[in-house]
Amino acid sequence: MANPLALATLPPGLVWQADRLAGSAAPGLPTGFAALDAQLPGGGWPRGALIELLAARPGVGELSLLLPLLRSTPADHWLAWIAPPRLPYAPALAAAGVPLERLLLVRTASDAETLWATRQATASGACTAVLAWPGRVDNAGLRRLQLAAEDSATPLFLFRPADAARQPSVAALRLQLSARAGRLLVHILKRRGPAPGAPVELVLPQRPGLRTESKLSPPSLHVLARPAPARPALAGLHPRHS
Amino acid sequence: MYWLALLLPDLPLQVFTRGTADPGLLAVTESRPRQQVVAASPAARALGVSAGDGVAGALAVAPDLLLRPRAPELETATLAELAHWAGRFTPHVSLDPPGGLVLEISASLRLFGGLQALAGTLVQELDALGLQACIAGAPTPLAARWLAASSPGTLAMARGGWQECLAPLPLAVLADAGVGKDILMLLHGIGARSLADVLRLPRDGLARRQAAAVSAALARARGETPDLRDWFVPPARYTARVAMAAPTDNVEPLLFAARRLFAGLAAWLTARQTAVDHCSLTLEHESGPATVLELYTGAPSRDEARLGLLARERLAALPLPAPVEALRLESGLPVELAPKSADLFGDPDTARENAGLLFDRLVARLGTDAVTSLRPCADHRPERAWRPVRPGTRLPADTPVPGPRPLWLLAEPRALRGSSGLILLAGPERIESGWWDGADVRRDYYVARDRDEALCWVFHPLDRPDEWYVHGYFG
Repeated sequence: MANPLALATLPPGLVWQADRLAGSAAPGLPTGFAALDAQLPGGGWPRGALIELLAARPGVGELSLLLPLLRSTPADHWLAWIAPPRLPYAPALAAAGVPLERLLLVRTASDAETLWATRQATASGACTAVLAWPGRVDNAGLRRLQLAAEDSATPLFLFRPADAARQPSVAALRLQLSARAGRLLVHILKRRGPAPGAPVELVLPQRPGLRTESKLSPPSLHVLARPAPARPALAGLHPRHS
Repeated sequence: MYWLALLLPDLPLQVFTRGTADPGLLAVTESRPRQQVVAASPAARALGVSAGDGVAGALAVAPDLLLRPRAPELETATLAELAHWAGRFTPHVSLDPPGGLVLEISASLRLFGGLQALAGTLVQELDALGLQACIAGAPTPLAARWLAASSPGTLAMARGGWQECLAPLPLAVLADAGVGKDILMLLHGIGARSLADVLRLPRDGLARRQAAAVSAALARARGETPDLRDWFVPPARYTARVAMAAPTDNVEPLLFAARRLFAGLAAWLTARQTAVDHCSLTLEHESGPATVLELYTGAPSRDEARLGLLARERLAALPLPAPVEALRLESGLPVELAPKSADLFGDPDTARENAGLLFDRLVARLGTDAVTSLRPCADHRPERAWRPVRPGTRLPADTPVPGPRPLWLLAEPRALRGSSGLILLAGPERIESGWWDGADVRRDYYVARDRDEALCWVFHPLDRPDEWYVHGYFG
């Protein structure tokens, strides 16, 4: 008993930690970022849920965050982009490995059409992910989108302006995105399970100019960086009841 | 040989009522030999209107009665549509006017699970088409028709002595086989009431009294002389028309009627093992030109529900200039489709089906141009390095990207006020191209971080180094 065991090396379930996510959440889709997966219930993007991504402005890395998910689109599913405010740039998407022939770029003429198309795409069950930029959307509209996502088990990413953070939302997961020194800061505003902790800082692989960046960034910033928490103990360490 | 007869006794009425769930007070009239009611809806019959009534008399009992003149061409077309549809059960279909159809089904019995099951399926599918028919079966087509007319539901088994079940039928069925009214009167006059009575009469005596037609008909019905039928040959394209009981510009009744048409089309396609990727639904108005809806499915399909959904999306977004009187459906040229297997382990095509259906719905509501996919193009100019394509198109091998490219591109480069606050992280990448087609570009591109920490793609024109533009964001 001389060396106290680190908490993380104990078999899971022996000691309950307050910031630990309950293990019962349905497994999610891996985000491609271990640090973020560790903070999300189910260890990834929840399947069949409304996910709000709030960003004050474009260019912080809001799309790069989803690239690992977008890359994994099978040939019989779509990747729906509903009413994006700018043009998704084909050469960059192709270079990032997104299967462009599965892309469904939908332009709409009104907020009502955007909501309609988003609901159709989500409810069809034919999309790996739906990315939507709704204009004005009220709580009833959000609720309908959430139900469509739940029914079809399709993750629906709703891109909304940063000031939407002040309004309550039915979304299962709300992330506020901002950039700091070339990294993406993901502040979890809401998730299922315990209250979210400190922001997660992610290095996005697809972004240019990162090499120069790491040299320039002041060391104080790294305080915010969270190491990926250790995975639960190996299966071999469990006491076996036989 | 075994024959099923389908007889639509009030076909003149059904061609008007099949498009609606509740026809209301409706009567179909004809003007020859005199102005009279030919058939009346159940609601009208409940008020006392019946076939054979004079128009004035009918209006006296039911002042709200809606009268529609008989539409013989629509009746013919409906019978042809039924013949199309019946091709789903057997290739041997023959028109049997007036108002009937006979199917030679001996070869199809096993596939459809026996005679009873097949008859049940027929009734069910007829209901989807909005039609009601009397069905009966017998080893000869004429016997089947007679049974359908006077004791519907009878399925006379093809064994020795089956002809006995014709005996109790009334004399009136003979009229269907071309026996004149005067001969029927004559038979009635000598006390014959049923076919059994006629069969007891001496054959040569009948012939002497110009009633040879009676013996001939009986011989055909009993299978003693052959009854040759012409098989129905379906045309290359499917067309069908449904009249509305009353003109309407309401979407729901129109959809209801359209579904009848799609059900017929689906059966026709199933019979031919084909599918369509295009059909046009024409809405005929009381006055003015018809409205034509072109329905496109992303992939060849014979799914009536899918066509119904597409029609719904189109109708919902369509301003109708006038109430609609009738709907007409014309299919495009059918394309071959591999027969679908009933797979024990779920349908592997479901995901692809869903994907196609989503695309179809979006296009039906928003238009073809609103739903696209993208592909990169080999052009150095950023504005021209992409192109919209039809979703699902296989792309050629990737064109290499020369430098960092942003995930977002602005449609038009946006001018910046100077380069203050921009930190240039990478570049310059010189893009100088297009002098040959007038849209020339001479720029130095940089990856930059702006004051709000966003990564953007900026450039300055080579000849104006002080002007800065932002062209994209590294989203």
